[in-house]
Amino acid sequence: MSLPIQVSIVVPVFNEEESLPVLHAELAQALDSMELGADRSEIIYVNDRSEDKSLEVMLNLRRQDERVRIVHFRRNFGQTAGLAAGFDESRGRMVVTLDGDLQNDPADIPRMVAKLEEGYDVVAGWRKERHDGFILRRLPSIIANRLIGIFTGVRIHDTGCTLKVFRRELVKSMSIYAEQHRFLPVLSAGTGARVTEMVVNHRARRFGKSKYGIGRATRVLLDLLTIKLISQFSQRPLHYFGMISLGALGLALIFGLVGLVSLSDGGLTGFNEWEMAISTILILMMALIAYFGLLGLLGELAVKASGMHRRSTLDRILNELH
Amino acid sequence: MSAAIETPSHQTSGTPSAAAVDVTVVVPVQSGDAEVREVVNALGGELDRAGRSWEMLFVFDGVTGQAFADVAELREKFSGRVRSISFKNPFGESVCLSAAVEEARGRYLITSPQYVQVDPAELEPMLEALDRGADFVTPWRSPRVDPWLNQVQSAMFNFIIRQIIRMNFHDLNCYFRAIRRDVLDDVAVYGDMYRFLPVIAYRQGYRVEELKVRHLKEWGTTGFFGFGIYVRRFLDVLGVMFLTNFTLKPLRFFGTIGGAFSLMGFALCLYLVVLKWTSDVGISGRPLLLLGVLLVVLGVQILGFGLVGEIIIFSQARNLKEYRIERIWDRDDDDPFHDHDPEDRDR
Repeated sequence: MSLPIQVSIVVPVFNEEESLPVLHAELAQALDSMELGADRSEIIYVNDRSEDKSLEVMLNLRRQDERVRIVHFRRNFGQTAGLAAGFDESRGRMVVTLDGDLQNDPADIPRMVAKLEEGYDVVAGWRKERHDGFILRRLPSIIANRLIGIFTGVRIHDTGCTLKVFRRELVKSMSIYAEQHRFLPVLSAGTGARVTEMVVNHRARRFGKSKYGIGRATRVLLDLLTIKLISQFSQRPLHYFGMISLGALGLALIFGLVGLVSLSDGGLTGFNEWEMAISTILILMMALIAYFGLLGLLGELAVKASGMHRRSTLDRILNELH
Repeated sequence: MSAAIETPSHQTSGTPSAAAVDVTVVVPVQSGDAEVREVVNALGGELDRAGRSWEMLFVFDGVTGQAFADVAELREKFSGRVRSISFKNPFGESVCLSAAVEEARGRYLITSPQYVQVDPAELEPMLEALDRGADFVTPWRSPRVDPWLNQVQSAMFNFIIRQIIRMNFHDLNCYFRAIRRDVLDDVAVYGDMYRFLPVIAYRQGYRVEELKVRHLKEWGTTGFFGFGIYVRRFLDVLGVMFLTNFTLKPLRFFGTIGGAFSLMGFALCLYLVVLKWTSDVGISGRPLLLLGVLLVVLGVQILGFGLVGEIIIFSQARNLKEYRIERIWDRDDDDPFHDHDPEDRDR
């Protein structure tokens, strides 16, 4: 009887023909140091339709190492899709994700796995000393992570680090799409998972160029709204929209009071200029209150119709069982 | 018009020959004066010359008339090779294609208009492209022979679409296409999306190639189309935009628009307040105030819309797969791989 696989390592690969052999050697070393037999660990390379010889390199590696599995995409679908495919195909009790560009150090994996065994659901890597440009890469990341912390209450220093270790149940119960892999720790914390982080080694790029650019400030802001909504209110959207509605109500009250005050000394003879402005704003605020209330109801409907509210309860029970 | 809502009921005539064929030519028939004989002779003759076995499926989209009688005759003449499906009511090209896919026995599908639009000699290069591993071959009529006004309109439409989808398709309005059959088992065709089939196929990860073809003639309206057509094309553009860019991130789409609206409105209001404070000019009577507040509220509403979109996407996320796998090399050597495609492709 073969023992169940303990550790699955998922590596999305896009044009990494030079890095792959080095990376694989390091991964193999890390797995060997954990003293798992070859049949108790696996390395899943997800080939995101690389344009170089990455696939050939992977096939070569597979010939040399029986732990290697290769998932080959029909076309380029992006890093999130690569991770999602890796998650879907993984069989291990623990799932490790890391970049294929050698910036993450596989030597960190055994420590992170040990940390997970202490009773966490997610161990996120924290690149404390990053070897990237400050203005373009590090500063936006710092600001974004601060904002996420303030918004959601989940304080993680480095959501952008791909090196993370997940418990199987978590990976299989959450579906990731559209760049949400970054926020997986935050999102899962919202459903009651125990999340911790760990300082990991970060190395400068050895081969190739960085594949990400900037120019996503508005995107990050909008994503923040989404994360807040999904991580804390996905079960009860009415609360989220109710809060926005309350905000509008507050504004309406303030304006209403101002209107009353100005009315008291102007008399009821007719609208003066401020009163006209105030009543305009008041009416439109009322419209917003009603609007967000209705949106909340619509959200509830969407959640109920999908049956997600029941599923999530189940996930939480699973979380407590392990 | 309850009939249009019914599921398409159809009857198929013509005895199918048992064996599978190389190519199924699908011809949606939209009007009674369709030149079915010419289509059969031109395409069938060409396929015979190329030594490919073929069948031809005419899908009558709620249409009878001369074409129907012609096809009945052709069925006799080419026993089993010419078949037809007829709908009681018109359902549009997408439904025609779906019905044909169920009936087709060919490995490759050719969709053709109801007249000989493109030089039949172009058929073989398109099929050869499929042989080489392409999944979908879309034509590019070049040079075109229809009136210049049509060409200009068509070029504009395709230009706009190209900008949105960032893909290099020059002629989405020509339906003389060659498609691997399994693509259509996977790619859902619905509504007006028939036009954008190459785009959808590409999004699903299929290899789509464009080939220049010789244009012979063009049916249909010349000059300007009806107003409704332009409205529908515009909605198509929006649909494609949504399809390609923002399906999974509604808030990015609505949020950007809503944010821009709100900012504009906020700027207007701020301007008025400053004006009031500095010069004590009345602002209440100014329409600008109403406009400003309206823009703020509208912007916030659009943003809220995106939020609900996010909830819907999130709650359906399990059913969405953002990737398509071509092949998996698994660890067991005696089962070296399992294909996600019905056919093995040596790539």
